[in-house]
Amino acid sequence: MHWIALQWLPDADTPDVPALPTPESLGWWALQYTPHVAWQDEALMLEVSACERLWGGRLQLMRQLVASNPAPDVRMLGAQGATSLIALARLRLFERDENRPQDIPAGLPLDTLSAAREHLDLLARLGCRTWGDVAALPRGGLTRRFGTGLREALDAAWGLRPESHAWLTLPDVFEQKLELPALAETAPELMWSANRLLSALQIWLRARQRGARALELQWTLDLKRFNGVNLPPHQQVTVRTAEPTQDMAHLRRLLSEKLALTTLAAPASWLRLRTLETDPWAGASTSFLPEDNRKGDRLHEMVERLSVRLGAQQVVVPAAQADHRPERKQAWRPALQKENAPAKARKDEKAAASQPDAIYPPWLLPEPLLLEMDGERPCYRGPLSRLIGPQRVEAGWWGDKEDGGQPAMRDYYVAESPEAGLVWIFRERPSARFSSGEVRWYLQGFYA
Amino acid sequence: MGLPFLDSFSAAAGRGVWHADELGLADAQVAATGHAALDAQLPGGGWPVGAMTELLQGAPEAHVWRLLLPALAQAVQARGGPVVLVGAPYEPCGPSLAAQGLPVEALMWVRSEAPAARLWACEQALRCADIAAVVAWLPQARVGELRRLQLAAAQHEVLLFVCRPESAALSASPARLRIRAGRCESDASQIELHILKRRGPPLAAPVMLPARNERMAALLAAARLRRKLRLQQSGTVPAGETAASSATVVRIDAWKGGGPDALDRLAVVA
Repeated sequence: MHWIALQWLPDADTPDVPALPTPESLGWWALQYTPHVAWQDEALMLEVSACERLWGGRLQLMRQLVASNPAPDVRMLGAQGATSLIALARLRLFERDENRPQDIPAGLPLDTLSAAREHLDLLARLGCRTWGDVAALPRGGLTRRFGTGLREALDAAWGLRPESHAWLTLPDVFEQKLELPALAETAPELMWSANRLLSALQIWLRARQRGARALELQWTLDLKRFNGVNLPPHQQVTVRTAEPTQDMAHLRRLLSEKLALTTLAAPASWLRLRTLETDPWAGASTSFLPEDNRKGDRLHEMVERLSVRLGAQQVVVPAAQADHRPERKQAWRPALQKENAPAKARKDEKAAASQPDAIYPPWLLPEPLLLEMDGERPCYRGPLSRLIGPQRVEAGWWGDKEDGGQPAMRDYYVAESPEAGLVWIFRERPSARFSSGEVRWYLQGFYA
Repeated sequence: MGLPFLDSFSAAAGRGVWHADELGLADAQVAATGHAALDAQLPGGGWPVGAMTELLQGAPEAHVWRLLLPALAQAVQARGGPVVLVGAPYEPCGPSLAAQGLPVEALMWVRSEAPAARLWACEQALRCADIAAVVAWLPQARVGELRRLQLAAAQHEVLLFVCRPESAALSASPARLRIRAGRCESDASQIELHILKRRGPPLAAPVMLPARNERMAALLAAARLRRKLRLQQSGTVPAGETAASSATVVRIDAWKGGGPDALDRLAVVA
């Protein structure tokens, strides 16, 4: 076991003492370095025997702790020891600028031991000045005279008894509030403070071994009414990502894109970040093969970024559908949406929709274009000559408006236009019921 | 009188020196275009991977799939990600592309009208490690913006095709390969490719490619033959003229209904 005791000493002399971070946030900061963190009396204790290799040794770890002091304006003292009580006693000596004794722990002065503080006078009259003096007294008499606490503390200090601590743990759901340094008038101004919350979130995710899937950033509005309109107390944005992540850069980009599109109803004073969904963190699996390690973002990150800025409807992927009308053979759905159909149904749809022999044009018009007529011949940038066809499609008679409106009865032809090359046109076959006598031709696609 | 020092130098550096009168070697990966005539004229024998290729055409939709589809299908097979279409002029028809080798799921369409948004989406797509290729329609892009895309493509080694109008042919461009595609005036079934810029000598005659894929060409030949036969039966055209010289058409009378597709019933081409 190896313990590090840390204490923050605000200078009493300086007039404007910077506020020390809360004990909770100091504890969170320490949890980045080791999972074993506890508050003992006035000091924050870190047990590092299992993790010091990770940080490059004890000396390196101490340097890192000092360098990343969460309260940079306040002096941080640190001391180490084989047990928590020794580390704490050395910290107290360090604080009083006393030299450490030659033999530790026997030579440590008694007033550095918390359990001995209430008996100091009596022990001094007994002639005990150091921990070793008290430890040399007979066990039975010591326990009868001073209670069990002192003897147990000494045993713990020598490492003869296991120590028990109330370890710091993290809550199940991340939720932190932060007061903004100044009232924020526009949404992007919130980003600076949101960054601080995000770095706290990263500590929480790492310590809990979880990855974030959905976050909510909420801000408190400073006004109850604005321009005669009653305002809600809060406003919020929600950020979602497809894969659980501990990467704050991606979440930060999503959040700033969202905030850039948001307007504040009134100036905001407080900010609150909360996790909505987290998943167990599996870590990233890597490969030694160079072709697997291409640098760049992941696909879902790109899709999320594009969808946030351009709108989810602007980034679409096709899904095959079983229908004979060409415009319904595929449906475009936002790439952000997960495909929720089961794999078998999807396979069936694909098999039904794929006609490898059919000659569809690679470009489809969003809406069939009504063609002008030159007598009997349809025209599109010049009179069209029909080359292949007809291919007859009769579909859609079963559906109502949502399913495609009226029945489609069409004869498709591949035709050639003198200017536009090969095009795909169809003649709407007048059915017996809706016959208006007039034959209409439409353009539906380009072969290019 | 040649200096011995220079001789040994040029021998050693011979590999690294490119003579401007011969076709340059690719200094990076290339992707075969799927058209042998075009491959022969491109440095390295294919589309450059990790560099911008510019396609200049009269209409934004013309000839794109005919030229790019084989390379895109290969890239999807090799890299497994989607092909991102930024600002496609019309809706790409999945079944048609799937029939030619590009699976439906391997398409991603960014429908964006604003030029700035298209450029941004293009760059984001290039920075993604999981995509196979980017095809972008950037009619209004400036040289500086194209340069930025070119750098992003080089950094992430992605196939990048930029389609621009023909009017951009005279302006400067950072693209490594610029091709102007147009329909051949004399023969409608051919595409004329003018290679405007490549690492190599300027091309005197345009590269000709068939404008239709094999299946479409065969169907057109079969339809032509059928029309001829019908005319022969009615006695307007003298018999004995060979109708279709390019394809051998065998009529099949064995079918009697039940085929999935009316167009399939015409003929089988050997």
